[in-house]
Amino acid sequence: MTRASVVFVVDDDPSVRSSLKFLLSTVGLQVESFESAETFLQRKSPDAPSCLVLDVRLRGLSGLDFQRELAARNIRIPIVFVTGHGDIPMSVRAMKAGAIEFLTKPYRDQDLLDAVRIALERDRARREQEKDLTDLQQRFDSLTPREQEVISMVVSGMLNKQIAGQLGTAENTVKVHRSRAMEKMNAQSFADLVRMIEKIKGPAKKAS
Amino acid sequence: MSESAQSKSAVPLETSIPPSGASLESILCTEELYRRPSRPPDYEKENSALVALVSALADSPSTIFQTLAETILDITQCDSAGLSLLTRDGKKPDVCGKRFYWPAIAGMWNPHVGGGTPRNFGPCGDVLDQNRTLLFRHFERRYPYLMPVIPAAEECLLVPFYVAGHAVGTIWAIMHSDRRKFDAEDDRVMAALGKFASSAYQALVHIEDLKFQVAEREKAEAAVRELANGLEAKFRCLVDANIMGIFIWNLEGKIVEANEAFLHIVEYDREDLVSGCMRWTDLTPPEWRDRDEHAVAELNAFGSAKPYEKEYLQKGGNRVPVLVGGALFEEGGNEGVAFVLDLSEQKRAQENWKEAQQALHITQLELARVSRLTTMGELAASIAHEVNQPLTAVTNNSNACLRLLAARDLEPQVLRRALEEIVADGTRASAVLAQIRALIKKTPAEKTKVDINEVIQEVLSLTGRELFENRILLERQLTDALPLVLADRVQLQQVLLNLIMNGIEAMTAITDQPRSLWVESRIDESGDILVAVRDSGTGLGVEADRVFTHFFTTKANGMGMGLPISRSLIESHGGRLWATPNYPHGAVFSFTLPVDAESPS
Repeated sequence: MTRASVVFVVDDDPSVRSSLKFLLSTVGLQVESFESAETFLQRKSPDAPSCLVLDVRLRGLSGLDFQRELAARNIRIPIVFVTGHGDIPMSVRAMKAGAIEFLTKPYRDQDLLDAVRIALERDRARREQEKDLTDLQQRFDSLTPREQEVISMVVSGMLNKQIAGQLGTAENTVKVHRSRAMEKMNAQSFADLVRMIEKIKGPAKKAS
Repeated sequence: MSESAQSKSAVPLETSIPPSGASLESILCTEELYRRPSRPPDYEKENSALVALVSALADSPSTIFQTLAETILDITQCDSAGLSLLTRDGKKPDVCGKRFYWPAIAGMWNPHVGGGTPRNFGPCGDVLDQNRTLLFRHFERRYPYLMPVIPAAEECLLVPFYVAGHAVGTIWAIMHSDRRKFDAEDDRVMAALGKFASSAYQALVHIEDLKFQVAEREKAEAAVRELANGLEAKFRCLVDANIMGIFIWNLEGKIVEANEAFLHIVEYDREDLVSGCMRWTDLTPPEWRDRDEHAVAELNAFGSAKPYEKEYLQKGGNRVPVLVGGALFEEGGNEGVAFVLDLSEQKRAQENWKEAQQALHITQLELARVSRLTTMGELAASIAHEVNQPLTAVTNNSNACLRLLAARDLEPQVLRRALEEIVADGTRASAVLAQIRALIKKTPAEKTKVDINEVIQEVLSLTGRELFENRILLERQLTDALPLVLADRVQLQQVLLNLIMNGIEAMTAITDQPRSLWVESRIDESGDILVAVRDSGTGLGVEADRVFTHFFTTKANGMGMGLPISRSLIESHGGRLWATPNYPHGAVFSFTLPVDAESPS
């Protein structure tokens, strides 16, 4: 478990809040608790894996409304719902909207801890994925326009000779562009480069 | 007659005829009268003739003109004699004064009675224009329309006569041969007869006018009589119909006449009325006399009094509420008519309505209290949350402690705090439960003797709107005179309301078949009261047994609390509540209630 990860607890009942904080702390999790959705929204979202343990029944904005509100704000934090008495439609709605788990009070502590662990793991993975993509994009952006053009053609399956013919340059020049681009992209192999470009541009953009 | 008609047609009505014949001067020979030897006057004959004329005028005015013509014939010894009168018809201006007609002719021209000449082109017109006696000779030479009037006139002596200075006609004498010529004596006699003609004409006109006036007056009187008869008949009809009380009164307080309806209202007999001892002032209780005086003032001022409510004292001393209005027969008169409507029924209905409203209001209040209780479902959900919160906290804290113990992480302060919170939350949970218990204790069942049909009707009247809005046909099959049950009326209302609302909701989705709700009450095989609510809704299917389980619902917005609560309420009354399918569609919810042992069955 990453040290910096944070669990946010939103529950309007102070004893539930403090007991949850206590329980989660026994497994070494850092916990921040809030009495309402509104107070949570005032906090700046952390640059660390995090998840939300949310009571469905809250004063003010309800848990389900809050879930929708977060999606609308493009805040992609995994949510573990807990509720006093949840009905099936309510839980279906929550799960469809991307909740990790929907637990009915009183729940088994292990179920909660597992759900929180999954949520944090998912958030960590998402963050890493996002970071990789950002790095790749930055590297691709550092290429010259001609290098970008050449590797796009390489990835689409054209031979150096064909590329040279199409661009009206010597085959050697194409080879130079290609090796510089491989170097800048930090690609270990031709296959590696193809994967990177696919990640950036999406797998659909193959040869035309 | 045919000759007369012929002669009449021979004389056209045109006012003037182009002069094609001889000049007026050439047919006149008036001056000759004084040149001719005159016969001696016969005063005796003249006097007796005038006396005869005057008496004839008195005796038979209708024939006076004919008598006059005959007198002229007799005195002047001429061949034809007659009168010409200007037409006189106020209704036809194109006729009035435009023509002369011959109302009477004696002698040879007698068949021409009714004929005549135009005013502006004829001998009579010329006489009136010259305003003197004229003697004509063969006037047909100038007036061609006289040609066919036979025998032809050798000489014609024409004398004008006047009434109040206006020329109205002529008298004339004609000789058809020259066996005799008119002379100065004829002129004198004719002048005298002309004066008589004037008087006779005047008298006749007066008589005619008088006759006309009398006839008109008679006609008008007949019309008025008919109208009065009609009105009286209508009024009589109104009085005798006895739709409302009507009486005729005078301002002194007497009731002159009254119909049966009025006597019935005040419970007096016709003998009381006939004996004259009925007075409207006596029929009025003292506190209403001011209002009556107000009405009398209104009558004196406007002729009628607007209807107002008051009371009358009946013969037996009871009071009867009435609506009274009246009118004087004549402005400033003493007598009038009054109509009276008995308001007893309306007042009673009003009272009943008020009572019913009040009863309905009470029922509604009770149901409002019940429906607050019916939200038990929601209350329960809220209770669950209230109890769940501390339980969750207790569980969390306990689990955390267990984990710390397992990890041998034994910091007494941390553990103590957790345990303290556990105790606090446990206390909190039991406090919530204590509150609920107190709430339930506040509403003990109040069992009274209840007519189940009454309860059904009360609930149906409350759900009438729902039934109507959802176009549901309601059928009641309530058995009369069911024994009473010992029950909490409000709880029974709650159960019935729940079953009926469930039935309605089960049918709202039905569109391809009639929506019907049957409510039945009867005695079942074991002698209990049985109430069944049947619907033609979606039915229960295989879930029939589960509907009485807490939190089970087939409704989109249901809590799953109504039926379990209803069942426990019925069971607390010693009855049973169950569901069966209805054929071909829907469900039947039935419950039984034991009959109150003391109630007569």
